Amino acid sequence: MTVLLEAKSLTKQYGPILALDSVDFEVGDGITGLLGPNGAGKSTAIKLSLGLVHPTSGSAEVMGRRPYDSPEVRERLGYMPEHDCLPPAASATEFLSHMAQVSGLPPAQARTRAADILRHVGLEEERYRPIGQYSTGMKQRVKLGQALVHDPVLVFLDEPTAGLDPAGREDMLRLVRRTGREFGISIILSSHLMNDVESTCDRIIVLEGGKVTEQGTVAGFTADTEVIVLDVDDKREEVATALAAKGIVATLEGPSLTVAIQSEEQYDDIRDSVAEAGARLRRMSPRRRQLAEIFRADR
Amino acid sequence: MTGPTNRQAGAEVFDLGYRHYEGLREGRARARRAVYVNGLRTTLGIGRGTIPKVLAILMFGAAMVPAVIMSVVVSLFEPAAEALPSHADYYELVSLVLFLFAAIIGPELLCPDRRDGVIHLYLVRPITPTDYVAARWLALFTVTIALVYSGQLVLWTGLVLSASDPAEYLRQNWLDIPRILGAGLVVAVFLATVPLAVAAFTERRAYAAAFVIGLFIISATISGALTACTESGRSGQCEQRVTGGAAKWLSLVSVGEAPTRVNDIIFGKDDPGFGNDAGGVSTELPRPVPVLWYALLTFGLGVLLWRRYERIAA
Repeated sequence: MTVLLEAKSLTKQYGPILALDSVDFEVGDGITGLLGPNGAGKSTAIKLSLGLVHPTSGSAEVMGRRPYDSPEVRERLGYMPEHDCLPPAASATEFLSHMAQVSGLPPAQARTRAADILRHVGLEEERYRPIGQYSTGMKQRVKLGQALVHDPVLVFLDEPTAGLDPAGREDMLRLVRRTGREFGISIILSSHLMNDVESTCDRIIVLEGGKVTEQGTVAGFTADTEVIVLDVDDKREEVATALAAKGIVATLEGPSLTVAIQSEEQYDDIRDSVAEAGARLRRMSPRRRQLAEIFRADR
Repeated sequence: MTGPTNRQAGAEVFDLGYRHYEGLREGRARARRAVYVNGLRTTLGIGRGTIPKVLAILMFGAAMVPAVIMSVVVSLFEPAAEALPSHADYYELVSLVLFLFAAIIGPELLCPDRRDGVIHLYLVRPITPTDYVAARWLALFTVTIALVYSGQLVLWTGLVLSASDPAEYLRQNWLDIPRILGAGLVVAVFLATVPLAVAAFTERRAYAAAFVIGLFIISATISGALTACTESGRSGQCEQRVTGGAAKWLSLVSVGEAPTRVNDIIFGKDDPGFGNDAGGVSTELPRPVPVLWYALLTFGLGVLLWRRYERIAA
């Protein structure tokens, strides 16, 4: 893994509030999720990494240099803020072209890049309309577009699905995945929504109360244990009791029973318990655990 | 994913997919230039609808009208030309228009970027807060100096052409050229700095514009009320509400007159031999005082503006 961002003992204090408390993390290629509840310090970590704010102590280095001191590094970074950041009177094409120039691209190339990126984010038809007339989903696409228009190496997306309806959210996440996997641009995606992070990211850094509480690959988090879903016609309680007698905890979940498998032998125990209870088995299948379950279980 | 996806009547449509940019990156220099050019466009109302364009044209027109009128009057009454207003008086005559222009347009360069949150997108790019605010200042300065010099150029052309012997006129008045350039610079630097310094502290353009206009009007009114002459009783003599040394210093309260006082010094209007009392009581002050006051105001507000943007970044 090529390390693109390295935070060492990164601390940020706003008056009496400790937003980040000596955190260490590394971010490499691919899509990395910065997960945590509101106020966990995700936006602060992003702003420190971009050089928008100074750390109280510690450092954040992107491609080996501190962004605040290095315009050359900032030339290759993209940022999509959570808050509004678009001029309502400008058209998308005019705005992206200007932002490309502010990133150092000559005017002719900036115009070409703006047109290309607006096509990629699905705003080709609307590009000459003032941004103030756009829907929330379209504005989010312009925000993503301005972060990509200068072809950055690393892009920071702060809550990119904020304010979007379910369809808009899925469209945005598809765009983010495409940016990371197809365009080959590394991404740091901040979100408080586990599903967004789980469906999009390769790695996760979990922040809570200004501290890093977990970090690793999504596959690593979800592959630790396996959940088996049992669908039986009836006698669910009897099956659960038979499993409990063998030391296996089964949870009633709607019409199904779920069992967290700890060892291979437990598959035989499940089969025997269903037979002992005299239940008719309809389905027995593994279910991949979701991040939400893991974090719920940890708390 | 490159390849032809449709062949019809010899036409081929290619989906080129995403292409990385491998061209020239001009870094911070290009970023500064982009912010400056964008500032110029904003100042002139280009790409901003009809009202800002009309406003810019009206302001240019209003600054030109006194110059044109003065030129015409001088050409008609050439023998009495010396008694008529000239280059030395031009900035004072158009100062209200210039102040209005700077007060209305200046905040447009800074307030929307902060109100709409665009400033954060600038600051994560290869540009520093100082670069940003300097480029914005330079944009307003460029348009303001073009405005003040254009009027003087029209007046200069009018005076030269209306002279019975233009060559002789040029020989006798060539010193007006550096004076015009110097005084124009003084006026433009002041007019570019004050509105931007005020605009740095509010996100609302209207508040900033109202504050700047109010500052000029109220400070001039206070200064005038304290130092102006009123006729007294039968004698008809001038009586000042505040007299003596205090009046001289209180005349400095009028912020808007700071550059015109320096203009008076550059053109020698403060000289008692100049033949008028244009400088008012402030002319009684030692010459360096109005100059230092102007420098203090302009430099102080400039530093305030710069520090404000450094703090935004921190």
